[in-house]
Amino acid sequence: MIKHETIEKNVSLMTILTLVAIAIGGLVEIVPLFFIKSTIEPVKGMRAYTPLELKGRDIYIREGCYNCHSQMIRPLRDEAARYGHYSLAAESMYDHPFQWGSKRTGPDLARIGGKYSNHWHQAHMEAPRSVVPESVMPGYPWLRKTDLKYDDIEKRMQVLNMVGVPYTAEQIANAKKDLVDQASLASDASGLTKRYGNKVPKDDFDAQPDRVTELDALVAYLQMLGTLVDFSSYQAQTR
Amino acid sequence: MADLKDGKTTGHQWDEDEGFPLQEYNNPLPRWWLYTFYATIIWAVIYWILYPAWPMVDGFTKGMWNWSMYKELQQDLDDVAAKQKPFNDRLGKMSLKEIASDNALLQFAVSGGKAMFGDYCAPCHGGGGVGVKAGGFPTLADDDWLFGGDLETIQETISNGRNGQMPAHLKSAGGAFSDAQVDDLTQYVLSLSGKSKDAVAVARGDTLFHGEAACNSCHGDKGDGSLKGTLAGGPLPPVGAPNLTDAIWLYGGDLQTVRESIAKGRVGQMPAWGTGTTNRKLTPLQIKQLTLYVHSLGGGK
Repeated sequence: MIKHETIEKNVSLMTILTLVAIAIGGLVEIVPLFFIKSTIEPVKGMRAYTPLELKGRDIYIREGCYNCHSQMIRPLRDEAARYGHYSLAAESMYDHPFQWGSKRTGPDLARIGGKYSNHWHQAHMEAPRSVVPESVMPGYPWLRKTDLKYDDIEKRMQVLNMVGVPYTAEQIANAKKDLVDQASLASDASGLTKRYGNKVPKDDFDAQPDRVTELDALVAYLQMLGTLVDFSSYQAQTR
Repeated sequence: MADLKDGKTTGHQWDEDEGFPLQEYNNPLPRWWLYTFYATIIWAVIYWILYPAWPMVDGFTKGMWNWSMYKELQQDLDDVAAKQKPFNDRLGKMSLKEIASDNALLQFAVSGGKAMFGDYCAPCHGGGGVGVKAGGFPTLADDDWLFGGDLETIQETISNGRNGQMPAHLKSAGGAFSDAQVDDLTQYVLSLSGKSKDAVAVARGDTLFHGEAACNSCHGDKGDGSLKGTLAGGPLPPVGAPNLTDAIWLYGGDLQTVRESIAKGRVGQMPAWGTGTTNRKLTPLQIKQLTLYVHSLGGGK
């Protein structure tokens, strides 16, 4: 029998036993999540982000949008009334890292996609208080003026592929073309829709037809948020 | 402190060499603390039995009460739906005009419409429909309408959306007119609200407005807009062309903004909320409530 005094006076032994105690707690909490089927709900419609949306997501993270905006609608009545269906784990299964958050200085953005027009997003990013006088959001006018850098898009997709995002070789090979096609009204989008589905919004997101800017990418990302899952096929565990 | 002195020490001693050894008493834990601690352990066991708690290999313990957050949400939603049902049933059956003349029902609809307006509409139209000049988003709280301010027209606008159709006129923007011609048109449009001093340019603009540029085919012969204006005595197509003779401007009434509107065109878009996808889809009932709210803002006809 080990006496309390023995543990207390032996730093190595105490470290090892502490680690064992924490490991047991961690394993009990984490390991089952890999096996429980209901952890990630089976849903229809989820797809990997298009190259343009992926760059938009990078800008979202770069500008620290998550500091004020969550992407997590909780199963509460007032949230359902304002934001729509509560967030599903499946909806962020291709996020590395996820953008759930809990800080809501601004509204939750999990289902912002399609809610407001591109035109509104352009005006709002340029000067938020010009459209929402009570807003405390800072302006991001440089996004519209800065050309999007996307030389590394294939590499980013390859890395995400390594951690489980199902990008195909074809999607990675056509990344640059798909990115430019999505940000333009005039382009032929048959390749883009073949690779990412018919629902992919294709538009001149920044109202500058001759350029692909950071605003194109960010608005494309925002307009996709929360629109992927087909909720008509989702059976909620509510009754 | 008396019992502290009587208690046994843990046997540790520090600083013995100083001749004043530090010792640690091994007193029993305070009773209140100990019993509270035992109570929390018992509570934990009760909680495991009643509520979902332990992860298993493929699932988790559901607890005797079979509680789940999703069920609670559904219950909350059902409760509200049941409370609103008597109102909603009548809202669904009655026409907008009938609802507007039933005070209790109108109050219910306007309250619901107000809450929805704050989330769906206010980002563009401003809180209370005050309008947002930065994006050319119209004011809804006045009685100046582009397509019409009666209940049915407002409902139609919300359900199916509206598209601005002002084309670009400057050659470099895809139009058919030179810089000088656009300048003349600008002067004429400004003169309609008494803001131009260049009579010669106004005269040239007048000819263009009613001739080559055919502005009157949408804005009317007098430039007073598609809603009340006329073309050769007949009505105008309902295209939402604004009245240019009043002092109300969607994008701005200074020379530079008016010129830009003429040169590059304006294609403001009101999204269709009745046929929208996923996050932009309102039910006919919600649209009715919004219609009555917008109508109540002050400009309803």
